[in-house]
Amino acid sequence: MVLDENRPDRSMDLLNEILQQPVDPDYARVAASAAPPSRRRIGVALVTAVCGVMFAISAVQTLNAQPLIETEREELITQIEDQQASQDELRASLAASTKEIQKLRGAALGADAEGRALQAGLGQAEMGAAASPVKGSGLVVTVGDGPTSADLREARVVDLDLQQLVNGLWFSGAEAISVNGYRLSSTTAIRGAGDAITVNYRSLVSPYRVEVIGDPETLETRFQASAASRWWEYLGTNFGMSLEISGARNLELAGNPGEVLRYAKVATS
Amino acid sequence: MIAIGGLIVGVVLGLLLQPTLPAGLQPYLPIAIVAAIDALMGGARAFLEGNFTDKVFVVSFVSNVLIAAAIVWVGDQIGVGSQLSTGVVVVLGIRIFTNAAAIRRVLFHA
Repeated sequence: MVLDENRPDRSMDLLNEILQQPVDPDYARVAASAAPPSRRRIGVALVTAVCGVMFAISAVQTLNAQPLIETEREELITQIEDQQASQDELRASLAASTKEIQKLRGAALGADAEGRALQAGLGQAEMGAAASPVKGSGLVVTVGDGPTSADLREARVVDLDLQQLVNGLWFSGAEAISVNGYRLSSTTAIRGAGDAITVNYRSLVSPYRVEVIGDPETLETRFQASAASRWWEYLGTNFGMSLEISGARNLELAGNPGEVLRYAKVATS
Repeated sequence: MIAIGGLIVGVVLGLLLQPTLPAGLQPYLPIAIVAAIDALMGGARAFLEGNFTDKVFVVSFVSNVLIAAAIVWVGDQIGVGSQLSTGVVVVLGIRIFTNAAAIRRVLFHA
């Protein structure tokens, strides 16, 4: 197939050539030259054999690479698990150290009137910063994904839903809140990270158990009237997400160990 | 036929001997295979249309494979290897499909 040199679409040669001359034009040229067809079939056999060897090598390599990828994946998973375990250990040692610091600080402040006043002030501040564990009565709010969450992304609890819930509880007069055992402080972020929600940089999975300390009755009545309650009603009716509220007498919320000293000044004595 | 026989012998040889390709050549194997398929399809079409010449087939096969690998190699050297291999695959892919369509027309008259 020879293309006309004066076609109007000559400038678009590339696509035309690809589409109209898929066979090497040499076949036609050699056939037209009427040379006696050579009978050296050995070349064809050799080339096709090389081709077959290439296919085989490639297939074998792909097959060999698969178990390798699998083992790499498993290695990565074990590495992640090891790191998580060592992170947990570090957290535990951090908690122990924090406790010791508090003890030493108590000893350093002394037992006289000034020391006790300072100690009380510190205790108050730590309570406000959610650094120390607290006890009391309150509510337990359990929320979970809807029944269709496996197929429907919208039926999953996302960070915004949890933020709304927690903000609604603060609004209703909560004194301390923890989500799945992780205490919320003023610097805690509730964020989505991939498919999981992180609180204090720990990944959580559904169902989410939100423990709240505060007066159970006012908490519940004020929560029912809050925007957060309406938000969750919408989620419940549209996506079947569950929200259960129950009163609790003796809640114990751990302190947030992530609180670090950010600001200090030299005492003027 | 001799071509299909050669192909089968090659596959069997490759599977039995399992030759290992030098690591430096491995990135060029897939693109060389696409070029080889293109040459095979071109040869098959020419055979069915009655103007097959083994010299052209051998030369086109070798040059296609070498040029495809060379393009990717040059691309790797100047940092656009993956883009150039995409380009080669697209061009050769179009040719393979058009040749396959021509073969289909000759074989099944459809």
